[in-house]
Amino acid sequence: MKKTLTIIKREFMTKLFNKGFLISTLLGPIFIMGIYFIPSYFRGQSAEEQLVVQVVDYSQSLGNQLPGMFGDTNADGQARFIVSPLSPASYEADQETFYQAVEENYVDAILVLPADLSSGEMTYISAEGHQSVSSRIFIERVRATINQQRLTNAGLDPGEVSRLTAPLALKAIKLSGGEASADSGTNPVVTIIFLTILYMTILVYGASVMQGVVEEKTSRIMEVLLSSGNSFQLMMGKLFGIGGIGLTQYLIWSAAALIAFQFAGSGDHFMASANVTAGTLFFFILFFLLGYFQFSTLYAAVGAMCTTQEDVQSMSTPVTLFIILPFLITISLEPTSNLAQILSMMPLFAPMQMFLRIEQANPAVWEILLSIGINILAILFFTWIAAKIYRVGSLMYGKRPSLGEVLRWVRY
Amino acid sequence: MHTLQVENVSKNYDKFKAVTDVSFSLPEGNMFALLGPNGAGKTTTMRMIMNIILPDSGSIKLFGETFQESHKNRIGYMPEERGLYGKMKVLDQIQFLGEMKGMSPAQAKKTGQEWLEKFGLADRAKKKVHELSKGMQQKVQFIGTVVHSPDLMIIDEPFSGLDPVNTKFMKDVLLDMKRQGTTIILSTHLMDQAEKLSDEICLINKGEILLQGTVNDVKRAHTNNAVTVGYSGDAAFINNYDIVESVNDYGNYMEVRLKDDTSPGKLFKRLAGENIDVHRFEAAEMTLNEIFIQQIGGAEA
Repeated sequence: MKKTLTIIKREFMTKLFNKGFLISTLLGPIFIMGIYFIPSYFRGQSAEEQLVVQVVDYSQSLGNQLPGMFGDTNADGQARFIVSPLSPASYEADQETFYQAVEENYVDAILVLPADLSSGEMTYISAEGHQSVSSRIFIERVRATINQQRLTNAGLDPGEVSRLTAPLALKAIKLSGGEASADSGTNPVVTIIFLTILYMTILVYGASVMQGVVEEKTSRIMEVLLSSGNSFQLMMGKLFGIGGIGLTQYLIWSAAALIAFQFAGSGDHFMASANVTAGTLFFFILFFLLGYFQFSTLYAAVGAMCTTQEDVQSMSTPVTLFIILPFLITISLEPTSNLAQILSMMPLFAPMQMFLRIEQANPAVWEILLSIGINILAILFFTWIAAKIYRVGSLMYGKRPSLGEVLRWVRY
Repeated sequence: MHTLQVENVSKNYDKFKAVTDVSFSLPEGNMFALLGPNGAGKTTTMRMIMNIILPDSGSIKLFGETFQESHKNRIGYMPEERGLYGKMKVLDQIQFLGEMKGMSPAQAKKTGQEWLEKFGLADRAKKKVHELSKGMQQKVQFIGTVVHSPDLMIIDEPFSGLDPVNTKFMKDVLLDMKRQGTTIILSTHLMDQAEKLSDEICLINKGEILLQGTVNDVKRAHTNNAVTVGYSGDAAFINNYDIVESVNDYGNYMEVRLKDDTSPGKLFKRLAGENIDVHRFEAAEMTLNEIFIQQIGGAEA
């Protein structure tokens, strides 16, 4: 135990003061926050943008009514929409000038309504298209007003029209652990970001274990170490030392994320919708550890089988595939599907799949516990096999072992 | 008390017999040399002593007991293929190796520093290992092996990669440790070093012991009718002598081994009648090197 701790300490300290670790730890949160902030910044921009529209109404029925329907104000207290009527006569008289005003951004758009609201088309003239959030909201509202107008024109009572066309309110409820709460599910984009980090760190730290083992073999220090401790101590020391580094990085990142949400979460629409909670971060760390220990034991065994870097390339491919594959399947599969449910119980697949389901599909508590249990058993099983391979492989140099030979090592 | 007892140990890798029925024992404080050509089974034997690999049959006792993991703390092992973490600093590395032998960090660091001073490497303590010369790395490796003051030292090729000055230095350190009661096993194919240093030797080839005993015993048993002749001229004729068993001719110096039923005197008389100029004739004991070649050569034939 003491020797395992000595190795853990060495692995941990060596990696902790490694430039790569410092850089990835420091840039990690900046990167993550960048992913959060950049889209939310741009969304904020388009949502907050003031839209100045001139309305040319040939039907003569809406024009004066429209400005009153856009009383929205932005966060900064400015009016979101400035809608002013423009008489068809002056519009036709000096169309060029009005178009120029649009192109030079004095006016965002000109909306031209047809004489006959029941069959004609309306024209939206702008320099920046009609896809911005504000312009879509504007067009939607004009459409709804025209629809009301048509109903009124058809002889319906205006009061009844507004009653009939009033939108039905939406109240979303999220069920979790028998309790109903207001639905503010984690933003799927954020979940994908977390999954990507999960995938990348498991890959990087697993491969780091393998590289470490190969390095000890090629530098021949393996034999010196084996004269001080046994192969199991060496392997566990390496797994926990590098795992500890991964955990440290996760804790730093999680703390940074929590702090970032404290400060930025309340005011910003996107940050609020991201809804990253301590629970999310807990599962994030838990499933990193479950994934890391499954793959790193396999990587350790692969490292023990290799003598050269060329061996590493070809021999690690199957293990690496089993990290890439679950990631690709997880991000492409509907989290509520049956297959996702099955895979979230499977070793190697569960760390990413179950994390996604917890965030997006509200699995039952027993499902989560069963998945964790299965994965812990898988870790023990992989460790057992890897220890056997490690014992024989760590002093084996030269020719790459065949599958048959490796199986013999396991039985040995 | 015996520090090490190896009894009838055998080890096969698939069909290859690495070690067959090897037995030897080391009294405490002894210097023991394991001799043999490359691939003789020396490394396998040492790894079995360290319990790094398990023998197929036979038993190995360390300090009078069957192997326990704690025995590793009392052994220092320097494998032939030296190995250190290249990117680790010298003193950190030694401290790590000491801690791996059960020392406390502070103790390992302090002892490591003392050794570095003794080896004249104190100013390199903060250097990374791969920045050192090969000879210095070798010394660091040695310090890593002895930092925990082992009772039993196992060193594979202790002098490889060392210049003559450092070879002498290393030899002095080993003798010093021996004087302080450390039992030492040397594995080497450098016979003259083994001959001068060891109390006992064990010559193995192809996994089997060819001969073993104290250096004096081994030599006495193999020096019958051995003669060294210093000469000038052409001595090729000597191969035809019926009293000669074998000749190792260097050109102006030859080691002649005579048949058992004859004596150096007969050779002396016959050489006197030949057309060569003999300036030295010595009924010498064989060096370990000669015994080694004779034994291995005999086994080959």
